Amino acid sequence: MKHAKKVGLLLTLVAVAFVLFVSAGTQEAAAGKSQDVGTLVVGMPGDPRSLDPQRTNDQPSARVMKQIYDTLLYQTPDLEITTNGLVESYDIISETEFAFTLRQGVKFHNGEELTASDVQFTFERMREINAPAAFLVAALDRVEVTDTYTFTMHLSFPFGPFITHLAHPATAILNRTAVEAGGEEYARNPVGTGPFSFVEWRSGDSVTLRRFDDHFRGPAASERIRFRIITEDTQRTIALETAEADIIYDVGPNDFDAVRDLPGVISFQTQGLTTFYMGFNAQKEPFDDVRVRRAINLALDVEAATNVAFRGFATAARGPLAPTVQFANTDLPGYGYDPDAARELLAEAGYPDGFSTSIWTNDNPVRIMYAEIFQEQLRAVGVNASIEIVEWAPYLDRTARGEHDMFMLGWVAVTGDADYGLYSLFHSSEWGDAGNRTFWGNDDVDRLLDEGKASPIPEERSAAYMRAQEIIFEEAPWVFLAFRDDLAATRDYVEGFQPHAAGHHVLYNVRNR
Amino acid sequence: MLWYITQSKVYRMHRYIFRRLLLLIPVMLGVSFLVFTIMFFTPGDPAKILLGERAPEAEVQALRTQMGLDDPFFVQYGRFIFNALRGDLGRSLTTRRPAALELFARFPATMQLAAMGVLVAVLIGIPIGIVSATRQYSVFDGASMVLALIGVSMPNFWQGIMMVLLFSIVLRWFPSSGYGTFAHLIMPSLTIGTSSAATITRMTRSSMLEVVRQDYIRTARAKGLSERVVITRHALKNALIPIVTVIGLQFGYLLGGAVLTETIFSWPGVGRLMVDAIRQRDYPVVQGGVLMLALTFSVVNLLVDVLYAYIDPRIKAQYK
Repeated sequence: MKHAKKVGLLLTLVAVAFVLFVSAGTQEAAAGKSQDVGTLVVGMPGDPRSLDPQRTNDQPSARVMKQIYDTLLYQTPDLEITTNGLVESYDIISETEFAFTLRQGVKFHNGEELTASDVQFTFERMREINAPAAFLVAALDRVEVTDTYTFTMHLSFPFGPFITHLAHPATAILNRTAVEAGGEEYARNPVGTGPFSFVEWRSGDSVTLRRFDDHFRGPAASERIRFRIITEDTQRTIALETAEADIIYDVGPNDFDAVRDLPGVISFQTQGLTTFYMGFNAQKEPFDDVRVRRAINLALDVEAATNVAFRGFATAARGPLAPTVQFANTDLPGYGYDPDAARELLAEAGYPDGFSTSIWTNDNPVRIMYAEIFQEQLRAVGVNASIEIVEWAPYLDRTARGEHDMFMLGWVAVTGDADYGLYSLFHSSEWGDAGNRTFWGNDDVDRLLDEGKASPIPEERSAAYMRAQEIIFEEAPWVFLAFRDDLAATRDYVEGFQPHAAGHHVLYNVRNR
Repeated sequence: MLWYITQSKVYRMHRYIFRRLLLLIPVMLGVSFLVFTIMFFTPGDPAKILLGERAPEAEVQALRTQMGLDDPFFVQYGRFIFNALRGDLGRSLTTRRPAALELFARFPATMQLAAMGVLVAVLIGIPIGIVSATRQYSVFDGASMVLALIGVSMPNFWQGIMMVLLFSIVLRWFPSSGYGTFAHLIMPSLTIGTSSAATITRMTRSSMLEVVRQDYIRTARAKGLSERVVITRHALKNALIPIVTVIGLQFGYLLGGAVLTETIFSWPGVGRLMVDAIRQRDYPVVQGGVLMLALTFSVVNLLVDVLYAYIDPRIKAQYK
């Protein structure tokens, strides 16, 4: 009997403890925002790789680093480049010489003041350790420090997008003392000049930042930011619904309709920088004939396919660049859907009965859906296309070697500049692994892309890129598919959130009311 | 030391443990060989992953040489083993930090979830199993066996989502995902604990059923002992061996098999880290993770075997 009593007591204790824990949990979960208004909780799908901007070039890291660091120039959410960054003003001395003046009194999180030698250190280190994003400043020959707050950048060749690239998160300015003191673990103890300083990174769970009161633009709106890593789309949506998160990035397309209808939630659907395309192998028959490439463009109802594949969260493309990208040609007419014209063109090219070919894709469900729809539509004009699904790594290898007929891929113009969005994909010097997997080339386009790349004058660059896009459209090395929208959502008590077209949103002005 | 191991009769139990620890070496070698081979033949080039898609071919080749990726298979495997023995599992290809550090950062969360899962399973499974066995073919027995069947058959991810729906969205009792407080631990551990509970219930029931038919149980009853004492002191203690085995196995299974639960609840455990690593071809993290889970699994099994001796004096006697 004694024993039974003991067991009974133990069970009671366990039960009481459980109830206590449960009620503690209840309080925390139900209290939602009323408890900790100062902390902005952001739900995003991926864990940052590193918080050292020179050790990585991935989106989750950029999203956090954007709050910790500043860049020399500032890119607004609409991708305009302004001198709202660390640089007060700059002069273009020549095509290869830029003189900059830094803002005075800018403080790093460790208390040191920003000087021109930090800028020099940053770009020297970038090349030394061969940073993943070093290509952004490949043109830079050296940084010459003229005094504490002024410096000159010398380029080894003219490079038009250079100023734009100085606003990219990967070119954020570092503090020499902090980097050297941090050593191997600097990526986990980052120090910048940004509006928020680093507090804690719990691997796979969250990154916490604290407001930096000495920030040069004045203190940020929120006291703290907690980036929570919630990999599953649905779970992110639920976290927003239960107010465990105040903002969520990358809402799943399947959830977006539900999110839009949630009470107390504001949803954001904005145009991003990603282009989806189906490329032809222009070295192979029959795709070496421009008539065949045009015919296939005409044979496909891209708009309908896009609506199905992206569930309405993308815009059907009419050219190679998303409209948000600088120097995108938005006047291109698009091919439209005209199977009769397609059949005529095919006959003219010597394929009145069509031909057999294949569409390659990796196991991305959106691309597979496109491929399946296109397979049917191509059959209608006599083209018999098989679908081959290839695993990602071999897919990249084999398309780089040109083993394919037609293939599906995407490209993000991460810098928001036409150079990044066109050069690797259409210049004939970039065939294969570098990015041009269609093996298509055109002397005029090569020349225009080189011109746009070299000139620092926006009007000249614009003219070159507009014409290049016209030729690319006419020559049709791609079927232009879609520009994917960025989907985000916030609770309605969140103020000041404005999505950035490149996806790394600025949270400086954002707060919970 | 050598004398102690070979001669001392008093410490045979320790010798047994020592021998079992030695046995870990071939086991771990086998595991490491398998995982290394699989990752070796998986398509994708680590050097290219490190440098990014835009890296020029010459640089990729230089890094391949530097990383020793052009060496023959066995040279690479030997180097991997040699480094692993010194605690160096290589650097993560995505974060560029030591893979061992990445794994250790996630290990506590995994252990916590597995331990709580097993606790839930034991607290549910053993009492229900005992009652079912003592009232065989009663309504309670039937109901609990049906529940156990449902528990075993119900997929974790579905159960997890249903719990989120009920307890987070409708009732707002628990946070839907995340890690940190005890409240965060409840739903994930219930999710992974339920299926294990079902297994433990069934094992307890069948093991108890076997034991209660033994002669010494009849003797105990004949002595006039209360039913409670007969069951807890005489029957359960003898029925425990297979139950403890199952609990040990379940614990090992929860260590490695909690990937879905970890994903649903955004639990920062080793399982999710490894799935991400596989997706990103982060070889060092995958290899290190498999080694770590295999080692933990083996050690848990060893602990279970040692536990036998404390539960059953007959087994202990073999070692004296």
